[in-house]
Amino acid sequence: MKRKVLAMMLIGAMAASMAACGSSSETAESSAAASAAAEETEAASEAAEETEAAESEVEAIKAKGELVVGITDFEPMDYKDADGNWIGFDADLANAFGESLGVTVTFQEIDWDNKILELDGGVIDCVWNGMTLTDEVKSAMETTEAYLNNSQIVVVKADVADQYQDVESLKDLNFAVEAGSAGEEEAVNNELNYTGVQNQAAALMEIASGTADAAIIDSLMAAAMVGEGTSYEDLTYTVALSDEEYGVGCRKGSDLAAALNDFFQASAEDGTMDQIAETYGVQAALIK
Amino acid sequence: MELFLEQLPIVLKSLNVGFLQTLKLFAVTLIGALPLGLLISFGTMSRLAPVKTLFKIIIWIVRGTPLMIQLLIIFYFPGLVLGNPIWGGGESGRFAAAAVAFIFNYACYFSEIFRGGIQSIPIGQDEAGLVLGMTKTQIFFRVKLLQMIKRILPPVSNEILTLVKDTSLARIIALQEVIWAGQSFMKGSQGISGAIWPMFFTAFYYLVFNGILTVLLGRLERKMEFFR
Repeated sequence: MKRKVLAMMLIGAMAASMAACGSSSETAESSAAASAAAEETEAASEAAEETEAAESEVEAIKAKGELVVGITDFEPMDYKDADGNWIGFDADLANAFGESLGVTVTFQEIDWDNKILELDGGVIDCVWNGMTLTDEVKSAMETTEAYLNNSQIVVVKADVADQYQDVESLKDLNFAVEAGSAGEEEAVNNELNYTGVQNQAAALMEIASGTADAAIIDSLMAAAMVGEGTSYEDLTYTVALSDEEYGVGCRKGSDLAAALNDFFQASAEDGTMDQIAETYGVQAALIK
Repeated sequence: MELFLEQLPIVLKSLNVGFLQTLKLFAVTLIGALPLGLLISFGTMSRLAPVKTLFKIIIWIVRGTPLMIQLLIIFYFPGLVLGNPIWGGGESGRFAAAAVAFIFNYACYFSEIFRGGIQSIPIGQDEAGLVLGMTKTQIFFRVKLLQMIKRILPPVSNEILTLVKDTSLARIIALQEVIWAGQSFMKGSQGISGAIWPMFFTAFYYLVFNGILTVLLGRLERKMEFFR
């Protein structure tokens, strides 16, 4: 008899621990339903509020008092200063946007491969990290208007750079590109020999270590990471293969994208955007 | 060399912060998984067939799928499918999700080690206890438990050392543990970019910590030598 009781308790404990992972939304709903039964009038107004909040994500963020921005460490868009604070063109702009909403901005580093998962899973509110507006991104997210120009640019060793100033001359080089990036797309389009690597920085390292002759990366990143005064002093960039634009990604159907568009317009008009862009040396790339 | 000396303090500071997360996840997992593992091992030894089957199936699923996938499911599933992101997007939510995944996963491995340990105690001891009028619970806690602990210590030590290194899997849900911290310098962080040595340097942290653990577990094993 005792054994049976113990066994039942064990099953109960297992079920509870499993339920803890999954069904807290159900319990929340059922408790909400219970209170609704008890106090009908109050619950009705509550429910009305709830549906409103579900419709407007901006209102939900204001109520929460926090905007969670998904980023990666990506100079000059989002990176840490010596005190460990997030700075950069995107980070400063995001902070200004948070201020305009009256909420605090939390920067959360994410795995870039999981950005759509993070958004749809509701753990971050937007992806704001120099994201190229590709068709793939546009179909998976509610994106804002483009705010910054970028191009895919070829990086080579500086001492041989003058031999590779046009697309034709690139055919005999071995390229390293970030797998799944806009750079890889360009390598395919131009029929170049390439190897996919983990990220753009790894692509640069491939050239530095001599395992690749060239890389294709974002021009904004190349401007910050390659050339004199950077950690890749013997590298330089030559041909721009394509032009593209950066935007912010929100959850599909979210009104946050519209709010961001209004913010971009307002900050372009009052000059804050130019000011921040100048701080990080990207003013030439601004879209007005 | 000058550049290295300039970078070293920045990198070490960042790796220390990361390793603290690693240690936290390690400690929380161990504290949670050891008792939960014992409970699960009782489940798999139950004489009620449905209970036994249920626990066997749970262990099969948890041991039969990659921990990395379990982490992804536990962290993203509530928000993606149930529409309720219970963990939140911040660092603490990611830690909680990782802790749940690790505790559950390691409890299942521990439970099988515990079952082996318990079943290795000769049945004659149960019979002797029953003859002396002890209850099953008394026999387990007063006679068998310590013998079992002695026997399972080597395989449990193995799992503990593996756990230290497995915590690095939590980077898949962007928990910023020590590997993440080291890797960030490859891409560029705090003015250091394209530096690959910080990532290799993280191995040193694991090595030292596992060294300490090996000594401690060895001592514990020697303390158990008084009965064989």
